[in-house]
Amino acid sequence: MNTPVIQVKGLTKRYGTADAIQDVTFSIDEGEVVGFVGLNGAGKSTTINVLLGFLGASAGTVEIFGKVIRPNNAHQSHRLIGYASGDMDLPENLTGKQYLTFVAHQFTGSFDERLAALTERFKPQLNKKIGQLSRGNRQKIALIAAFLPAPRLVILDEPSSGLDPLMQQEFLHLVREEAAAGTTIFMSSHYLQEVAESCSRILLIRGGTITRDMAASELNQIGGKRVSIKAAFEVKPPSDVRLVERSNTRLSFVYQGSASDLQTWISGIKNLEDISIDDHDPEAAFEELYEQETTDA
Amino acid sequence: MRNVLTKTLYDKRGLLIGWCLGLTFFGWLMTIFYPSLHDSGSGLVELAAKLPPAFAGLIGNLADMTMLNTYLGSQLFDIRMPLLIGILSILLGVSLSVGDEEKGGIRTVSALPISRRSILLQKWAAVVVIVVLAQAFTLVGILIGLVTIHESLDAATLLRLGGVTALLAVALATLILCIGLASGKRSITMGVGVVVAVGSFILTTFARSIDWLKDYEKLSLFHYFPAVEVAKGTVDLKNILVYGVIIIVALSASLILFTRRDIK
Repeated sequence: MNTPVIQVKGLTKRYGTADAIQDVTFSIDEGEVVGFVGLNGAGKSTTINVLLGFLGASAGTVEIFGKVIRPNNAHQSHRLIGYASGDMDLPENLTGKQYLTFVAHQFTGSFDERLAALTERFKPQLNKKIGQLSRGNRQKIALIAAFLPAPRLVILDEPSSGLDPLMQQEFLHLVREEAAAGTTIFMSSHYLQEVAESCSRILLIRGGTITRDMAASELNQIGGKRVSIKAAFEVKPPSDVRLVERSNTRLSFVYQGSASDLQTWISGIKNLEDISIDDHDPEAAFEELYEQETTDA
Repeated sequence: MRNVLTKTLYDKRGLLIGWCLGLTFFGWLMTIFYPSLHDSGSGLVELAAKLPPAFAGLIGNLADMTMLNTYLGSQLFDIRMPLLIGILSILLGVSLSVGDEEKGGIRTVSALPISRRSILLQKWAAVVVIVVLAQAFTLVGILIGLVTIHESLDAATLLRLGGVTALLAVALATLILCIGLASGKRSITMGVGVVVAVGSFILTTFARSIDWLKDYEKLSLFHYFPAVEVAKGTVDLKNILVYGVIIIVALSASLILFTRRDIK
């Protein structure tokens, strides 16, 4: 059996008496692309910071490539890890080219061809000082730096924030290509569409605890159609639907059954005043997931 | 740019150039004042005898102004240079430790395969290079001043004064850098830096005239740099050892704490 690339067991990070994350446990195998999703303050960045050794664990362990990670030895695992975050502070007095040269020198090997390919893809402004660049251009340099040394594991914390839609698509293409080449990717994101499109697995974190670990394909099952109706009288919803809103005259629910059954149900409504049927997109599905977890908690 | 040392030096090039130019000018300026003070020779000695002892700590021993080496020792290296070097040390130590961490620079570098030990030692090496260069440019200023006033001074005197000043500056900057990296807290780093630098200056200058302060003067970092004696040719190895111990203890403690703590 292969050793997981990331193995987190009972991880807790405490600040004073407050737990930023508690008892976080998950593992990620080689080649997986895992999305790490949660609201602001849910514990995504704290978890990632412990994985990278920026923070020490209050309890529990983190193993990356089979080695236990602590602040004083994390640099050893960084030979195999690329990292970028959405709020990464790059040295403002250096140009993008100088910074990427500095990054390349910290790894073994020549990365000229890879740098050329990544530069061609993201088209960053390499000859300007980083401090003079827009947020989006700085983010391009951070992403190039993360993928430059051809790492076996890429850890990304809100990686595409600041990128324009075109560059977000380029980024997603890059993630898919790297994953196809066997790179393991662990990525937190606010752009849920991005996670749904690029990840094979999704970890949901809420209040510092992993509340759901699911295959990305399950999102489609959570998806379905969102049906909203307005009628003169109260309408009883079909069975096995997830209610979103219900009042005397209004009804809104997520429907995952067959279209013909839905058609039959609609034809039975008397005095129908209005109806809308929309795709229940991943973003909405996630929102529902959050709501579910909140209700369950 | 291959490593943290060269990256830090490149990053701090503005500060380095500014201080080197400033200290060159300062060294030149203090040197060209010498003929005017020297010409007042016997008058200065008489004045020194009339002044209350408290003034000696603040303006130096006026009798020392009659010889070029002791003039530079008392007026440049004994009073003014430690204060200037103290300011440089605080600026440098704070900006390379807590300043860099607050800007996220330490985190960004720590994400690369560079150990925290290596980050600390390379930052310290950058401190040493900057401080030694700044001190070297002070000597350049003095040399230009000597040419301006058509005087000469043996190279050994200049090297002794410059060398011990650089060592004092390295000790002070190391202490501040290490406190910053070990604690990650600006308030503690600035506080200790100011207390050590300003406190040392006050202790050393006032202890010459306030009897009860003399017992505490050994707490001053500047106590171990008797510039006039160094200018005359006496370098006490015990003083060098004190600075060496401060540097080693600060680095060792910081290596233990910085490699284990959380980075912001």
